[in-house]
Amino acid sequence: MSESAFLLLENKIADFPLLQSAQHSCLHYLDNAATTQKPASVISAMADCYQSCYAPIHRGLYPLAAAATALYENSRVKLAGFIGAEKSEQIVFTRSTTEAINMVAWGWARNRLQAGDYIWVTRMEHHSNFLPWQRICKLCNAKLRIIELHEDGTLNLDAATELFSKRTRLIALCHVSNVLGGVNPVGALCEQAAALNIPVLVDAAQSVAHIPIDVGVLDCDFLVFSAHKMYGPTGIGALYAKSARLEEMEPLLLGGGMVDEVSDETRSWSAIPARFEAGSPNLADAVGFAAAVDYLGGIGMRRIEAHVDSLTRRAGAALARIDGLRLIAPMTPTSASIISFDMPGIHPHDIAQVLGECGVAVRAGHHCCQPLMHSLGLSATTRASFGVYNRQDDIDALLAAIDRVRRLFA
Amino acid sequence: MAKESFYSAVLLDHFRHSRNKGELDGADIVRRGHNPRCGDEIEVGLYLQGEKLAQVKFRGRGCSVCMASASMMTEAVTGCSKQEAYHLWEEMRDLFGDGNENDVKHPTNNLQALSVVREYPARQRCVLISWEALRDALRGL
Ligand SMILES: Cc1ncc(COP(=O)(O)O)c(C=O)c1O
Repeated sequence: MSESAFLLLENKIADFPLLQSAQHSCLHYLDNAATTQKPASVISAMADCYQSCYAPIHRGLYPLAAAATALYENSRVKLAGFIGAEKSEQIVFTRSTTEAINMVAWGWARNRLQAGDYIWVTRMEHHSNFLPWQRICKLCNAKLRIIELHEDGTLNLDAATELFSKRTRLIALCHVSNVLGGVNPVGALCEQAAALNIPVLVDAAQSVAHIPIDVGVLDCDFLVFSAHKMYGPTGIGALYAKSARLEEMEPLLLGGGMVDEVSDETRSWSAIPARFEAGSPNLADAVGFAAAVDYLGGIGMRRIEAHVDSLTRRAGAALARIDGLRLIAPMTPTSASIISFDMPGIHPHDIAQVLGECGVAVRAGHHCCQPLMHSLGLSATTRASFGVYNRQDDIDALLAAIDRVRRLFA
Repeated sequence: MAKESFYSAVLLDHFRHSRNKGELDGADIVRRGHNPRCGDEIEVGLYLQGEKLAQVKFRGRGCSVCMASASMMTEAVTGCSKQEAYHLWEEMRDLFGDGNENDVKHPTNNLQALSVVREYPARQRCVLISWEALRDALRGL
């Protein structure tokens, strides 16, 4: 057995009803960066919730409501444990990564930004970690500053000379880019920023399913992620923040469940985290989110990381050998789960369509990263991304399908 | 797996060997169609002789569907009157826009090769870019 084969997990397809179904038995699902498939344990945890423990949260006084509330709060505890948060109150359930970032931008950053201040992002950010900052910077006459990239797609921190300036109010960056796939040195950045009291927001949407994260070690101020990219349900995500940051934050959404006392003129917010969860809480998705955490924990994040890393490396090496195919970012020691490529003369939508006809699901487009695409001089790329259920045969199918693309359009 | 292959020989032929593709020097009117979502961009130029489109050319970049559709469009409307060309645009719009299934007229000419794209809503815009440029050019005359 080769060393990399040793790193692979045992076959996980049996855990995923869709991948096991006759209808999709030939599917090679390599679109995990967009969203992942769901294991039976997540689906059944959600069904169980609806079938045996469903009631309003934080509102009912009867036993079923109390049980449902406990289930919801247990999910929060699970999530906190998963990322190493000290207290479960540091986890705010949101609808998604997108919503979590908007909450921080609107509720926290906006009140603290003054004319001439900086918010720093990077060239590789997803629109969801770009547009909210662009808007509040415009609103406050602050400046959105951008950490540019080296040729190899890594952050050019040396060129960002004012990153740690007194004017910087926040650094917001992804842990892993959804286009380039490299792992950013978020730990080192947080350490440097902390020394100057500059808060850091880490967008962990693309890392949380593949890389062990401990916010105690990472020491970021905010961490955001979505359940649906980590084998959990769509429609729920999480915002982790240091308690002091949450105290400073205004709620974005106002409504039921987030306020203690309301009069015609005044109101007092509820305690954290309820303050940030206006409206009826999303119980079943929270339960599914926690079940996804259990699923990942049951395999072990280190093993998942090794598995996905091994697949990514092998696929990257094989793709790099193909004539007429260019990796958008060369494989670096920190590549993780995502490979974007380009076949000059062949449009990414044609590549993805032919791959689709061959049963290989990939993503083609700008991946909601237009500032990055512009700087790369591209309008779109094709992206393959890996998850726990992928195997060598998915890579083989990808390569065979790319061969077909070349023959079709040559 | 695939139904009918998306990439018919006719479509691929128009992509690989696009007709009437080149510079638009001396055109009576040039209009642009584009799709910022995928970066596709086509310019269409009309060359008139009296009421007729004596020559229709295009240039630009895009996916195979976009390029093949542009190539087929130039062939289909060359020699047409302005009204006939506009009518063809309307048929294509109904076929690939939000036309009602019951009143769409399926093309009988070389545009048939594009019909398969109707099954792929994500690619319908690709067909229409060059036709929208044609429409704008006709309206601009
Ligand atoms: C790096 C990154 N950030 C943020 C997001 C937004 O996640 P969501 O759509 O779940 O809010 C994505 C998802 O595509 C992403 O890849």
